[in-house]
Amino acid sequence: MRLARRKILALGSGILATLSMPAIIRAAPAEVIEMRGTARGERVWFRPHGLAVTAGTTIRFINRDPGNSHTSTAYHPDNFDRTRRIPKAAHPWNSDFLLPDESFEVTLTVPGVYDYYCIPHEMAPMVGRIVVGDPGDAGWEGPSTDTEDVTREVFDALPRVEDILDLGRIEQEDGT
Amino acid sequence: MLRSYMLSATLLTMSAGFALAHDTEALMESPPGEPYVQVSDVLPLPEFLPGLGTLFVVPDTLPAGPFLAYDHDGKLSATVYMTPLEALSSGTAYNDLHVGSHEVTSVDVYYNAGHPGVDEPHAHVVLYHDADAKGRLAQ
Repeated sequence: MRLARRKILALGSGILATLSMPAIIRAAPAEVIEMRGTARGERVWFRPHGLAVTAGTTIRFINRDPGNSHTSTAYHPDNFDRTRRIPKAAHPWNSDFLLPDESFEVTLTVPGVYDYYCIPHEMAPMVGRIVVGDPGDAGWEGPSTDTEDVTREVFDALPRVEDILDLGRIEQEDGT
Repeated sequence: MLRSYMLSATLLTMSAGFALAHDTEALMESPPGEPYVQVSDVLPLPEFLPGLGTLFVVPDTLPAGPFLAYDHDGKLSATVYMTPLEALSSGTAYNDLHVGSHEVTSVDVYYNAGHPGVDEPHAHVVLYHDADAKGRLAQ
């Protein structure tokens, strides 16, 4: 009995030690967004195409479409002079073309709404939205309202921020 | 005079027919040679595309093609055309396109959302050159 109790105490100490470890030792938050497509390329999509994360989360984009290449490209003037659709203080990214099973990572630290697209499939429309933090965070910047630089189809394909925050992630298996 | 004219016309026809047959014969095995280039060498796409195989195209003929589609053994299996829907609806016609082989056993037409090289919604028109071609190009 005494031995068992000692084991429990040791276990409890271990848990406490883990919880009190400096943040730098604990695993940083990470999420995966897949690039998907049907066999004949009729439909292509990000999965999920709506995602809520905490600041500091690393997003890994990976191409799971065996018959196509894709990009993850932030709407930003640095990328082909597109209108900015990510927080002003955030760094834009462009994965360049990812062949099947290739991946690209980006860490998002600035609270706000990030919209991105796939270069060869923007007209599809293969686009996605990531919400970092929530509107109560310092420095939060909400979604862009611009409709000049994107088509109506792209604008309508971006999930609502409220829905992303409510659900955490929005995805559909076949991209429809 | 008339006989001479008919003979010349016959020879010309035979010559053209021979050239056409010769040209397609040269395309039956991969690589088809210049001016064709392998699509995966010039665009960020996999070397073998499931459903389409290994593609070669003459860059000047983009976007319509023809794209010559070879199986894993380098056998010409299909000729593929890619026609942007917006261009078609705007009145663009793609006429007198070449074929990789004169033997066509079946044709598939289907929608594609886009890919490097033809990065807009378009139709794939696939002419299969033998009964087993679709299966060999599948994976």
